[in-house]
Amino acid sequence: MKSTERHIYSLRPSFHRRVEGAVVWVLRIATLIILVAGLAVFGDIIFKGSRTVFQTSFPFVNVAFLTEAPKTLYVFEHEGASFEMADDDFRAFRTGLEEEAAAAGLPAPQLKTKSYVYSAGGVFPNIVGTILLVMGSMTIALSLGVASAIYLNEYAKQGPVVRFIRLAILNLAGVPSIVFGLFGFGMFVIYFGWNVSLLAGWFTLAFMVLPVVITASEEALKAVPKGFREGSLALGATKWQTIRKAVLPYATPGILTSSILGIARVAGETAPIMFTAAYVVRDKLPWEVERAIDFLFQGVMALPYHIYVVSSKIPQNEYSERVQYGTAFVFLGIVAIIATTSIVLRNRLRSRYRW
Amino acid sequence: MKRFFDTELETFRSNLVMMGEIAVRQVRDAMKALIESDLSLADQVAAADDELDQLEIKIDEEAIRYMSLRSPVATELRLVVVGMKASHDLERVGDEATNIVRRVARLSAEPPIKPYVDLPRMATIAIQMLRDAMDCFLQIDAEKALLICQRDKEVDDLNRQLYRELSSYMIERPETTSRALELMFISKSIERIADHATNIAEEMIYLAKGEDVRHTEQTRNPDAG
Amino acid sequence: MSAHTLMEITPTTFAPPIADKPAQADSEVHQTLIDIANLDFFYGETKALHDISLKIPEKEVTAFIGPSGCGKSTLLRCLNRMNDLIDIARVDRGTIRIRDIDIYQPDVDVIELRKRVGMVFQKSNPFPKSIYENITYGLRLQGVSAKSRLDEVVERSLRGAALWDEVKDRLHESGLSLSGGQQQRLCIARAIAVEPEIILMDEPCSALDPIATARVEELIHELKSKYTIVIVTHNMQQAARCSDRTAFFYLGRLVEYADTQTIFMKPSDAQTEAYVSGRFG
Repeated sequence: MKSTERHIYSLRPSFHRRVEGAVVWVLRIATLIILVAGLAVFGDIIFKGSRTVFQTSFPFVNVAFLTEAPKTLYVFEHEGASFEMADDDFRAFRTGLEEEAAAAGLPAPQLKTKSYVYSAGGVFPNIVGTILLVMGSMTIALSLGVASAIYLNEYAKQGPVVRFIRLAILNLAGVPSIVFGLFGFGMFVIYFGWNVSLLAGWFTLAFMVLPVVITASEEALKAVPKGFREGSLALGATKWQTIRKAVLPYATPGILTSSILGIARVAGETAPIMFTAAYVVRDKLPWEVERAIDFLFQGVMALPYHIYVVSSKIPQNEYSERVQYGTAFVFLGIVAIIATTSIVLRNRLRSRYRW
Repeated sequence: MKRFFDTELETFRSNLVMMGEIAVRQVRDAMKALIESDLSLADQVAAADDELDQLEIKIDEEAIRYMSLRSPVATELRLVVVGMKASHDLERVGDEATNIVRRVARLSAEPPIKPYVDLPRMATIAIQMLRDAMDCFLQIDAEKALLICQRDKEVDDLNRQLYRELSSYMIERPETTSRALELMFISKSIERIADHATNIAEEMIYLAKGEDVRHTEQTRNPDAG
Repeated sequence: MSAHTLMEITPTTFAPPIADKPAQADSEVHQTLIDIANLDFFYGETKALHDISLKIPEKEVTAFIGPSGCGKSTLLRCLNRMNDLIDIARVDRGTIRIRDIDIYQPDVDVIELRKRVGMVFQKSNPFPKSIYENITYGLRLQGVSAKSRLDEVVERSLRGAALWDEVKDRLHESGLSLSGGQQQRLCIARAIAVEPEIILMDEPCSALDPIATARVEELIHELKSKYTIVIVTHNMQQAARCSDRTAFFYLGRLVEYADTQTIFMKPSDAQTEAYVSGRFG
């Protein structure tokens, strides 16, 4: 008797079960590949970067790297020993030698040096610049974005116009960041005449993250129960009173969540600030300005741009890797710190305004 | 927890109690009018019957209102239903009292054929049964109510005895026939009053326990066996 | 059916109190507060209310009943213009007058109207703030900030909502820490804190258990000495228990409006009878 039916207790796996097993494995391997890639990236940066940022002797952190500006490294040999010195040390050393020689009546010694730009010193101005860029642009993006989200979600009459605006905002999110950079360059740097400045960078970055902020803020506003609005209005509150007292406090955690994503993006983008705000090198720190207004109109150094510069704009050698990975490591650390702070703040608000 | 419509139930309950008191008074006054040939009292009794009729209507209306608006269940539902039935019984008791006093006028015209002994005895038992039944309502006492049911037999026996007695009168002295017949009807009325008291007692058992004891062995007189 | 039989045997000499007479007597005592006349209401192109005319007396409980989608909530939300929140909703024809003021006139201040006509919603919606702040929310909006005045209003409102004894020791805990029934009573307290004249209740007990429901019904009964209450309910027993007058809606039309006893004992319309008997369809 021939039957195509299989007994339910058959030990031989059916075709569908074999497919099932195979699919699970394919998915599992894909995830593993991602995991390995992620670990490789982080591992690489942390391993190599920590050699720059940390040291084996006290105070275990490379303080100079975190507090000094980038400097040129001079490598030379003198009296049989080899030296690696940052430019200012080197100049002092050389002056010392020259004075010594002059005192002895000898001609100044000729040092055979090799110099490597940016390979000495630290990244302090870059850290400051990045933080300033993030804070400024997020302030602009959040105030504009939340305001427009409130308008779109609470006030605007829902219809084709609002739908079109939403679509436009969503499309803005898909625009490549280099285009924003170009726009900022044309608009703020050239047309408004702001030059390469913090202000131009702030607005360029703010415009870039606005779609994210608006979309997420709208979602956060939508997530506030309708009952809060109705309850407030039914008590004789105006719309703005309702939004201020019964909606916004409860949407804030959601809005903050979106701004965390925004911060990571703003801090990380190189393209938009390349033409608008970032200097390759600037010997003054941002607060070393003559007039307060100059603060807004100065360019700054920034971590991502510095990585770009030290990775592609200077000759590569055994000293440049040190600063590349060190910068990347510091950069990751800063993003992590900002994100953690935001998350803690968000969670604290969330537990205060839970419903 | 107290509910805002609990007072409605209280009113309902007190209306029924009031009906019971009026019914007892009516029967007592009717018997008094009969024994003392008091025609004015007889008129009073006849006139007071209207009170009972109105109360019955009021109780019915309250009951229906309560059932339609308050959706009572369990004890409350039984109270409302029992209230309607008991009020009907009490109204009938009032009617029987009126029946009795209607005959007083005719009887008082002539001397009694014999002294009233058995009728007051019957009436006393019937009134007591009625009183006890209303007490059971106030106290929600099923045990006592069961005893009332069993006493109905006594009144039935007295009624039967009086019936035989009056029959023999009619045969021996045909001129007493009409008076004897009146007395037979009165006896029958008292017996009916006791029956209504029994009904009420049975209803009180239903109210207290939710058990229907009508037409069961429980309510029969155990002595009658 | 039994109701009809009873009515028929009732002697004519005795005033039948269950029938129309007390209702008429009542409406003479309580004059009309809300007067809805020939109201047509649209959601976009859909006509949600057809030619509704209804007079709601002062200081009584009026219940709106009817199957889902019959327009009863819509009508309720017309009374404090909560429908304004929906872009496509509009009153097409007819008037709603409260104390002879047409509330749909363009110069009517909706904010002022909503202070006078409070609302309690189906889902209890206390703000995630303290009990105290929930109650004072409305007053603070009006700029009242004197502590003594706020304290007094909090106590009065909570007592009014029969909640004071349960929460007086934890006024500064979150309103959300209360049970469902307490939350709903908190919402009622919040509504009466701004001293409205009318309280609208949109299925206030549909999310509550029977005990909590009974408490709220008890409260409604107490409140009607001071406020005019309009309540939408799916629960016919609730309408029967706590309302004085009942309006039955079906498919956006007012089918029958009468004394609650009449609606539940001898409705004059066959649809009403079918609905209150629970065999609708």
